[in-house]
Parts: sequence; structure tokens; C-alpha cells
Amino acid sequence: MEYNILESIDLNEKSIYKSFTERYFSKRYILNVNGIKNNDIMLLFHSNRITLLCLAPSHFFFKRDDDYKLNFTIGKVDRLSNTVKGKGKKGGQMLTPNTAICKVEWSDDTSFEIPAGMKGFLVEINEQLVKNPKLLRESPNSDGFIAIMLSSISISDSMKKELLNHEEYLKIINSSCE
Amino acid sequence: MDDKAIFNYCRNLGCCVACCLRYLGIKNSNAYANPTSFATKFQAEETLNKAPEDAEKCTSTVIEDISDVLNESQSQEIKTEDKINIENTQENNINSTNTINESSNGVEVFGNGSSPPSKKLKLSTCISCLGVLQEFTWQESIDMVKEVLDKKGYACNTFACALSAPIATMLRERVITLQLTNEFPEYDQNSLTPLKEAWKWSFGTHLSRHIHKTLDSGAISPLLVTLNIDYDDDIQELEILKKVSPQLFEERSRQRRRFATEFTRRSVEQALETATLSSFRAAGDALCHVSSHAHCVSVICTHAPIYLCGRYIKLSRNLPQSPWVLDGKRVLPSSVQEIIFGPIAKFYNFSDVDCEGRLKFIAAGREDVDVRCLGDGRPFAIEITDPKRELTSEELNEACDIICTSGEVVVKKLVPINREDLALLKKGEETKSKTYEALCIKLTHSKHDDCPADSPITMSPTDLRLINGYKETNDVTMMISQKTPLRVLHRRPLLVRKREILEMSAVAVPEHPQLFRLSVRTSAGTYVKEWVHGELGRSTPSLGDVIGARVDLLALDVTAVHLQWPPDKQ
Repeated sequence: MEYNILESIDLNEKSIYKSFTERYFSKRYILNVNGIKNNDIMLLFHSNRITLLCLAPSHFFFKRDDDYKLNFTIGKVDRLSNTVKGKGKKGGQMLTPNTAICKVEWSDDTSFEIPAGMKGFLVEINEQLVKNPKLLRESPNSDGFIAIMLSSISISDSMKKELLNHEEYLKIINSSCE
Repeated sequence: MDDKAIFNYCRNLGCCVACCLRYLGIKNSNAYANPTSFATKFQAEETLNKAPEDAEKCTSTVIEDISDVLNESQSQEIKTEDKINIENTQENNINSTNTINESSNGVEVFGNGSSPPSKKLKLSTCISCLGVLQEFTWQESIDMVKEVLDKKGYACNTFACALSAPIATMLRERVITLQLTNEFPEYDQNSLTPLKEAWKWSFGTHLSRHIHKTLDSGAISPLLVTLNIDYDDDIQELEILKKVSPQLFEERSRQRRRFATEFTRRSVEQALETATLSSFRAAGDALCHVSSHAHCVSVICTHAPIYLCGRYIKLSRNLPQSPWVLDGKRVLPSSVQEIIFGPIAKFYNFSDVDCEGRLKFIAAGREDVDVRCLGDGRPFAIEITDPKRELTSEELNEACDIICTSGEVVVKKLVPINREDLALLKKGEETKSKTYEALCIKLTHSKHDDCPADSPITMSPTDLRLINGYKETNDVTMMISQKTPLRVLHRRPLLVRKREILEMSAVAVPEHPQLFRLSVRTSAGTYVKEWVHGELGRSTPSLGDVIGARVDLLALDVTAVHLQWPPDKQ
């Protein structure tokens, strides 16, 4: 029996070409966090309630070409020393929607904070981003994600319902540009 | 040691013949199949022809010499100083000329004697086994076993039997061995043949004739018949142990949360270990009168599980290995497991509920819903709990045919295996390499691609060479680190796993310049999809890193699970 892999899928079906994040995650947006204009973040929700934190394309960060550094020490808390144990991911740092996950420090000594956007706890900071901060600018909605967070099923479900989805987000962004 | 004296001493205590043989330490199974005839040689010669069966009903336990007692038996009344054994009857008719006789119909007759003529008495219950070894108590048990076996309808023509005896028998055995040691200083307490063994040899042999199956040991026969035999006065009789071993039971009652039941086999065993004859005597009457024999309260019949094994080929990209249920609702209507269980359930007449409880699917790993499993397929086994019969090779072939009609799963053969072989399956999952074929797509230009940014992205000969020549160029296989994939991270710990890409090769796909077919052999437990696309940098290095471009995968097939299965029969 021959089961040719080329014939096993429909190469004209567009959905098979979805990117990794499009395949597994649904996008939600929070705009103007903490009242700061265009402090826009994007949360990528996996159906298993794993959530990735990213900057939204409309974030003011993308308007500047200056050099920057990422600082993961917020107050006394070092985000990079976060560890989780076991299946339950015990011991992750607690997060609320306004807690800062990291600070972006521009070369002119100004800076801004990236908030978590949701209640939950920290599972992992993107190790590749720490090594290579440029990823934040180059691929903000994939390899340049900031952190992996986990919350309860109820929070995850209600946030997915309440927050702006991709279409709603595009509408708002496009209308504000005009 | 005087076997006759011991035999007759026990007999006079009120033990049945089989128990007397047990105290003698007889371990010959034939002896118990027909205890009365075997026991003839232990019978005191003088008693052979004149000892009445009801001599055992005398009320004395301390008898210097059994023949003396029997000789002076005219005297109706026998000393009762120790009074450990109280038998009910006063009809010690000494003129009777019966020999020891436990008749097969379960009723002891001693009516051949002259006085009272043809009077029938119910056989007295043994003070040691409480009737467990006495044929006249067996019919009830046999009827219960038959009922259960008829209902279950096992085809197996052998059986093993197991006994759960009243705990009071332990107490009584201890008291009797203590008395024996007291009476015969050279008596070895450890010689006692366990009740369970004697019961298997006697009752088991008897049962065998009634259920038309051959009695075998539990290690050999897969069919186990367990009888639970209860004794009405069990707990009441064990109360004496609170006096014999007060500390133990006070301790247990204080820790009631830990010890829910006062008298368990274990606690009674502990209490009996240290008990002495004098402590029993001080506590009272340990071998008290048996008002009614122990009786069978339940029978449990089970057949050891049987195992079938095979390899399954999965042709669907929309079929999970096990039922996929989310929030009580099915996500997909079927699964590999259910398709394979279908014909098995049919042959055993299993309902859906039966399938859930009695069929277990065990596989050497699993593939994702959207991954096919081709080649020889993935090794698996089915455990069937309490089967009433084995399936014939014709039925197994038919099962394969039925599975294949699903169009989604192919099983070429099903064969029975042993439980021990299952370990190979699990070990295979952890140690054996697997080969995959993936249809991949190059999403960005490679770093070495010397072409305009807006030109079409194609898999170049250089890209293919980098993949195909990886081992030669780098002189090592590719070692990778994979963090727990996001798709399973919610239910698995966050870990970094070191894995190995043992072989890989790629070919271009005609007419689809962006695509390539990748064949890859990996160490066990490699997340292939994540290795291909790199999962946001959480699996490194990725296939994309080899050619310096973004790569994703469109389809994945398992083409070989490198495990010898079914196992080689040496």
C-alpha cells in the first residue's frame, strides 16, 4: 500500500498554511494599558489556557528605531529567576493585569514597562528574547513573544470573551489612523 | 512421636478427621481427598471396631490414654476438669460398634449399633475448622459455585480455588497446637498443615467432580474460584483475645482512625503470636462449643486477564488514539482504540460499559490526531479482564477484517501474548527510535540565499545539501533541547529534554518549489513537529536552523516504530 504524503492533504486548502501562532492560538488585545496611549498588548490564548504575552503591532514601541535593552528586574523581583515545579507549575510569580513583566530601556535613558495584562502566574520568560532582544522588534507576534503565563480556566475563558478580538482590534486601529 | 496418640487426642478434642491429619502434619493431598480411609492407620487398634464416632463427643480434653477412655466408656461420664471442649450430646452410646465414619451424604450415621437402634444424629461440627473440611457442609458451597460459574460460563477446563476462612479458625488452631505441645512436649507446632491447603485437597477435589473442571494450582489455572466462608460467632469468639492480649487491642482502639476494624487477620495473628496456653486458660473458654458450622456467604469467580497484541496502521488525520472527550462531549466521534475494541466486544458480547471496565488499550506511545501511522504500524496490546474464554485464531482474523473495514485503521494480525511481554511495549516507548516523514514548507529566504528579497522562496539544492549532509559536515548527529511543548504544557511539568536526530534526509517536491519531503529518525520521545518549526525558539536547534530559514510542517506521518512486535517467541 502506498500512502503518498503529498496526496494526504489538500495543498490548495489555505488553512494548512497558517503560521504556528495562528494555528494554535486566538489573539486578544488590550489597548492603552494604564491610560498610556498606544501601550497596546496582545495576548495569545491557547485552548489549554496557556497564554503568551506579546506587544500589539500598534504599540508605540514600533514607532522608534532607537537601540534598547530589556530589563527583567521589576522592583525587587527578578523575572528571570522564576521557576515552576511539577504538573501544577507551582511557584510561578503571581501576576495581575497591571504588573510589569519587563522594562524596555531606550538608549536615551527613557523607558516603559510591559504589563502582564491578566491575572495569573508566570511560567516562563522567553529565553531567546533575553539572549536576543531584537526579536521584540523583528518578530513581535512569534519568536519575539515576551512571556508564557497561566491562569485559571475561568479567567482565561472570561478574558477571551471580554477582550478585543483580531477583527475588532483592526477596526479600532484602522479608524484611529484615518 | 506417637502419631496415633496425637491423632486420637485431637479426635477427642472434637476435631474432624481431616483436621486430625492436619495436626499430624500430613501434607499428602490424597490423604485429604479421602481422610477417613487414610486415617484408619492412626486409629487406636482397640477402637477400630468398637470406637463409636460419638466418642469424640466426650467432654474431656485431657485424656491420658485414648484407649483407656474408650475402654472405660461404659462409664458414660468422663472427667471434665478442663472443659475446653463442650459437646452437646449426652448420648454417648458406648455400645455402638461403629468405626469412625463420615458418610458421603454428609450425615454421620451411627445407627448400626444396638442402642439406640438406627438413630441418626447430626454430625458434630469440627472444633478446629468449624466445618470447612467436613463434607456434610459442602453442598451449599458447591451450589453457590455452580450458580456463579453457570452465570459466567467460563470455557476454561481447569480451575484453582481459594478460601477466605473464618478468623476464629486461626484462634482455634492456636489453642489446639498449644494444648498439643503441652500434652506432647516433642510436638512441633509448625508441622500443622494449613487449613487452606487441606481445603484445596479435600473440598477442591470434591468440587472438581461437580463442576467438571480439573483442579490446578493458582499459578497454573487462570480461573480462580474464591469462597468466602463466614462463621456466625466469629467476632464473639475473638473477644477472648482482648483478655489474652489486652495491650494490642487497647492500642488499636485508641487509634481507631487507623484501625477501623478490631479483628483483622493481621491483628489476630499478632495477638496469637505471643499467646500461651495459660493466658488462654486464664481468659476463659477458647475452644467453646460450635453451635452451627461456618457456611459459604459468597463465591467470586475470575479469569486472569488475557492479552492480545498487534500493530495498528492509522490512515486518518482526524482520528485520536483514545476517545477524545472535552467537558463531557466528544470532540471526534471515534478513535483507534474504539475501532479496535469493536470486534473484540462483539465476540465477548460486551456492552459499552463492559468495554470501559474490561478492555484496556496499551500502546507503545501515541501520535497526534492529525498524524498518520504507516509502515508496519504502531505496536499495541489489549488487556481483557475476566474473559470467559479465549478467542480462536479464526475469530482473531475476523477481528482484523472488521477493524480494516473502518477504512481508518488497519490491523494485520492479532496474537495472544503473556503479561510479561507488556513490559517490552512500555520499554519500547521509552527507548526505541521512530522514523517519520514530514511534508515541510520553507517560509523565508535562507541566510545563504543570494537573491532579491521579493523573489519566490524555494528549497534550493544548497538547502537540501545542508540537511542531507548534516552528519557528514558536522561529524555528529544533531542533539536538540526541547522545552515541554506549549500544547501539553498545561498538564506536564516544564522541563528541557535532550533528544537526538539520528538521521535525516530531504527531497524536493516537483511543482512545489517551496515544499520538501523530509525523512527523519529520532530518539524516543522527540517532539518532531516542534523540532521542525522550532516552537518560537523553545526547541533548539530546529530544522529551520539547519538551513537558516523559517520552516513549518504541513503534514506528518510516522513511518516506522522500531520495536520488534509481537515479541520474538524463542
